[in-house]
Amino acid sequence: MLSLVDLSKRFPGACGEPVRAVDGVSLSVAPGELLALYGPSGSGKTTLMMLIAALLRADSGQVIFDGRDISALSARQAARYRLLELGFVRQSPNLIAGADALDNAALKLMAADIGAREARRRIRPLLDRLGLHERALHRPEQLSTGERQRVMIARALSTDPKLVLADEPTGSLDSRRSGEVLSLLSSLCKDRGVAVVLVTHDPQAAAYAGRVHTLRDGRLVDDGDERAAVPGNAA
Amino acid sequence: MRFSSIARLYRVRLRARLVQELFAALGIAIGLALLFSSQVSSTSLNGAVAELTSGIVGQMRFQISARDPHGIPESLMRQVGAIPGVRATAPMLEQGATIIGSGRTRSVDVVGINPQLARLGGKLVRGFGVFRLAKVDALMLPASIARAVGDSSLQSVKLRIGADIDTALVVPDLLVGVSDGLANSPVAIAPLAYVQALSGMSSRVTSIFVQSTPGRDREVLAALERLAAGRLNVRPAAFTETLFDRAAEPTNQSTGLFSAISALVGFLFAFNALLLTVPQRRRLIEDLRLDGYTRRMIVEVLAFDALVLGVVASAAGLALGDLLSIALFDSNPGYLSFAFPIGTERIVTWTSVALCVGGGPLAALVGVLGPLRGAIFAHHAEFFGASALTSARATSWLLGGVSICLVATTAILALAPSAAITGVVTLTLALLLALPVLLDVLTRVFNRLQALGRASSPYLAVMEIRSAANRSRSIAVAATGAIAVFGSVAIETAHRDLQAGLNKVAHGLNATTDLWVLPSGTANALATTPFGGTDAGRIAALADVAKVEIYRGSFLDVGDRRAWVIAPPRDVAHPIPSGQLVVGDMRLATERLHAGGWMVVSAAIAAAQHLRVGQSFLLPSPRSTVLRIAALGTNLGWPPGAIMLNAEDYRRAWGSSDPSALEVALRPGVSDADGARAVRDVLGPRSGLGVQSAAQREQAFRATARQGLARLSEISALVLIAAILAMAATMGAMIWQRRGRIADMKVDGFSRGVLWRALMWEGGLLLGAGCSLGALFGLYGQVLLSRALSTVTGFPVAYSPGFTVALDSFVTVTATAMLIVAIPGGMATRVRPAIALRD
Repeated sequence: MLSLVDLSKRFPGACGEPVRAVDGVSLSVAPGELLALYGPSGSGKTTLMMLIAALLRADSGQVIFDGRDISALSARQAARYRLLELGFVRQSPNLIAGADALDNAALKLMAADIGAREARRRIRPLLDRLGLHERALHRPEQLSTGERQRVMIARALSTDPKLVLADEPTGSLDSRRSGEVLSLLSSLCKDRGVAVVLVTHDPQAAAYAGRVHTLRDGRLVDDGDERAAVPGNAA
Repeated sequence: MRFSSIARLYRVRLRARLVQELFAALGIAIGLALLFSSQVSSTSLNGAVAELTSGIVGQMRFQISARDPHGIPESLMRQVGAIPGVRATAPMLEQGATIIGSGRTRSVDVVGINPQLARLGGKLVRGFGVFRLAKVDALMLPASIARAVGDSSLQSVKLRIGADIDTALVVPDLLVGVSDGLANSPVAIAPLAYVQALSGMSSRVTSIFVQSTPGRDREVLAALERLAAGRLNVRPAAFTETLFDRAAEPTNQSTGLFSAISALVGFLFAFNALLLTVPQRRRLIEDLRLDGYTRRMIVEVLAFDALVLGVVASAAGLALGDLLSIALFDSNPGYLSFAFPIGTERIVTWTSVALCVGGGPLAALVGVLGPLRGAIFAHHAEFFGASALTSARATSWLLGGVSICLVATTAILALAPSAAITGVVTLTLALLLALPVLLDVLTRVFNRLQALGRASSPYLAVMEIRSAANRSRSIAVAATGAIAVFGSVAIETAHRDLQAGLNKVAHGLNATTDLWVLPSGTANALATTPFGGTDAGRIAALADVAKVEIYRGSFLDVGDRRAWVIAPPRDVAHPIPSGQLVVGDMRLATERLHAGGWMVVSAAIAAAQHLRVGQSFLLPSPRSTVLRIAALGTNLGWPPGAIMLNAEDYRRAWGSSDPSALEVALRPGVSDADGARAVRDVLGPRSGLGVQSAAQREQAFRATARQGLARLSEISALVLIAAILAMAATMGAMIWQRRGRIADMKVDGFSRGVLWRALMWEGGLLLGAGCSLGALFGLYGQVLLSRALSTVTGFPVAYSPGFTVALDSFVTVTATAMLIVAIPGGMATRVRPAIALRD
C-alpha cells in the first residue's frame, strides 16, 4: 500500500553544508500493518513522516501510495490525500480550546463537506469505542492528557483513512497510559485494516509494532524484521 | 467546505477567545465610529445650510445682491424685471438679529419677503400666504426657537438689529409641516415692509432674486452683470450654499484628518488585540493543514472569523458613531453662524454608512489574515521551522524599513504636507518596524544590568520577553503602548498648537485698545455689524477716556469665499497679530497698512485669486477699489480667510463712514471696569451697543475658538479612552495567557512575590520601550499634523514641541497599564500549582 523508494531529503545546515535528514530510505507498509520507525532525536523520523504526508517534497526518490506517486501531487491534491486517506496523530494533543471532544474529533469530517451536525453524529461511535462516551461533551482543559490523545486518535481515524501516521503519540504519557493508547490504536487499525507508521524513540512503544525499522542519521540501519535493533527488546 | 461546518468551527473556538475578540471589535468600532460621526457632522453641517438656502430661494435662478449690510434700493426691482428673459423677480431683506425674550436671547437671521417670494420660493417660505404677509406685522419663528427664548405663544419681544433695539411681535408657528431640521433653523420670516421698518432700511433690500425664462439664462446673467456695474454681486440664487461649503471646508478637513488618524489608531489597537491570538491561530492552521484542510478551506475558516468580527465591529461602530454624532459632534462650529444661517438638521448619507459597513470587515480581514499570511501560504517546513527571534539579517531589514519610512514621512512633510494621512501611515509603519529592534536592544542592556544584581524577577522577565514563543505577544503589548502614546501625543499636541495659534490671534486683534464698544450679541462677535449715529464724541469727552478710534469690519464675498474684513484704526501700532504672516515681512507689512492703499490677505484667498505680494487687486467692495497686497497671512481663525486693511481705506472702499466698533483707550490709572461703567452711562440703557474690555473680548474669542475646535478635543479624548481600553485588553490577555506558565514556575519553587514582580518588570520593560518610542514618534506626528493644519486649512497654528504632553501621555498610559498589570497580575499569581500538574 505504501512504498518508499530510495527517498532522500536534504536541508541547508548552519555552516552552509547540506544536512541529509533522510538519505536513501526504501521500505514498504502493507494494509493493517503497524510499522515502527525507531530512532534517536535528529535521526530523520519526523522528516520521513512529513515526506509521507506530502508536507515536504523529496529531493529524490518516490513515495508510492496505492500506486500513486505522492510527491507529484499538487497542494490541493496533497491536502485531499491527507484529509481522506491519511490520519495524523501528534505527540502533543493540540486540541481547540473551547471546543468539546466531539467537535475536536470531528474537525476532519467538517472539512469533508458533510456539515457540522452530521460530523458530530458520525464521530460519536468512534469516541465511544475509544472510551470517551462520558467525556464527549468535555472541553480540552477538562480532559486528561491520555483522553486528549484519544480524541486525536478519533480525529485521525474519523475519515476512515488507509494509513495513520503517529508521531511520538505517547511522548507525553506515562507508561500505563502509553500502553492503553497504543493498544487502542493497534487494535482499531487492525480491525479496520488501517496501516500505521509509528514514529518513536520509546522502545516500549516500538514493541507494539509488527515490524521495527531503526533510523540513524537519515538512513535505515536494518532490514526491519528484527526487534533486537530496539534496545530493551534484545532481552 | 460547508457553511455549517465553518460556522460551527467558529462558534466553538470563540468560547476560548471571546474577550480578545470583543476588544478587537471594540478597537475597530471606535475607529469607525469616529469616521462615521465626523462624516455625519460634515454632511449635516453643509446639508443643513443647503436645505435652508433652497428652502428660501426655491426655483429662483439668480440673485443680484448688495456687497454690504446697507443693501440696495428696492426700486432696482423694476429695472431687473424689465430685463428681457426675466420671468419673475422677488426681493429679500436679510438682517442678523438677536431676539431678547423673557427667557434667553437667541441669534436669528431675519428674512423679509414679499408675496412674490412666498409664491416662487422654496418650501420654507412657500405657503407663507399672501394673506398672512399682508395682514400680520410679526416675525414668524420656528416654535422651537420661540420656546428657547421663553415665548411659546403670540407676544412681543425685544429685537436687536445692529445698534438698535425695537419691539417686535413673534408668532411661534412658522414652519409647521416642514422637516424637523428645517423647522429648527434659526430663521425668522416676516413681511418685507415690517423688516424694513425694524431695521431702519426703508425701501431697501439686500437681494433681488430672479427667475429667468427657460433657455435665456445666459442672456439674463449678462444683463444683470451690466446692471450691477461692478458695484453689486450677481450670483446663482443658492450661492450661500457654495460660500458655506467653502467656509466649512477647513473645519471638515481638520476633523476628517483627526478622525482618519484616530481610525488608524483604532485599527492598530484592534490589530494588536488580534496579534495576541496569532499563536492560537497559527496552531490551528498547523493542525488543519496536517488534517488535510486545503489553503482555501483555511482561508475560508479565517475569513469567517474576520467577517464576523468585522460585522460586529461595523454594527458597533455605526451605533457608537450615531451616538457620537448626536451627543458630541452635533456642536456646529458656532463662529460660522456669524456669517451663515446654520440649521440643525442631521443628515446621514449612504456614503457614510457604506464607509462604516465596508470598513469593519476590511479592517478585520487585514487584521486576521495579515499576520497569518506566512503561516497559510508558507511551505510546511518553513512554517514549522520558522524562528520568531530577530536575527541580525532581520534587524538590518527592519532598520532599512524604518529609514525608508522616515524618509518618506519627511518628504511628505516638506513637499506635500496636505498628504498628512499618508505621512502618519508611514510614520506609524516606521514606529512599528523600529519597535522589535528597540525591544531587543533594551532587553540586552537590561539583561546585562540585572546580571549585576541578584534578584530573580528581572531575570525571569527578560527570559519571557526574549522567548521566541512569546515574541508576537511581547511585540503586541509594546506596540499597543506605542500606538496609544503616539496617537494621543500627535493628536493632542497638534490640537494644542491650533488652539495656541487661535489664542494668539484673539490677543493680537483685541489688545490694541482697552475697551471695545460695538453692537451686542454673539452674532456680532467678530465686530462685523456697522452702526450709525455714534456717540464717539461724547465718549471721547469723558474724563476717564484718553482716545476713541474708529474700527471698521464686515464680511465680504471674494470669489466663493465669504472673507472677514478687519480694518483697525490707521495709527494702531500693531495691526497684524504676531506670527500670522505666511509670506512677507511683518515690519514692512505694518508700514504699508499704516501708509494706506495696501492690504494683507489670507494665503487661501491669495491662492484662489492667484495673488502675490506686491500685486494689485480690485477688491469687490461696494465701491470697487484697487489695493496692493502687503503680505499673505493665516486665516486669523476665520476658515474662508481674512482681509486686513486700515479703517480709512475701508471707508473709501465701502463708501460708508459707519464704524463697526469704537476702540476706547483709557487714561492711565483708570480700571477697565470703571471705564466701561462710564461709557455705558453715556450710551444709556436703551442702546443696543455693548462695552467689553479687551480681556473680555479676548476671552470671548477664545471661547468661540474652543467651541470651533470642540470636535477635535472630543476626538483627542476618545483616542486616549480607546488607548486605555486597548491597554486593558492587551495586558489582561497577556496575564490570562500566562496562568499556566505561572503555575509551572510555582511548581519549580518560585514564590508569588517573585512571579508578581517578574510580571511587573516584564510589563514595565515592554511598555517603557513601546511608550517611549510612541512619545518620540508622537512628537514627529505633531510636526506633521500641525504643518498639515496650517497649510491645508490655513488656520493659525503656533507650533511648540509638546514635550509636556508627550511626558504626560507616557506617564498616563504606562501608569494605567502597569496598574492593570498589578491588580490582575497579583490575582493571576494566586493560581494553584496543581494546574500545571493536572493530567
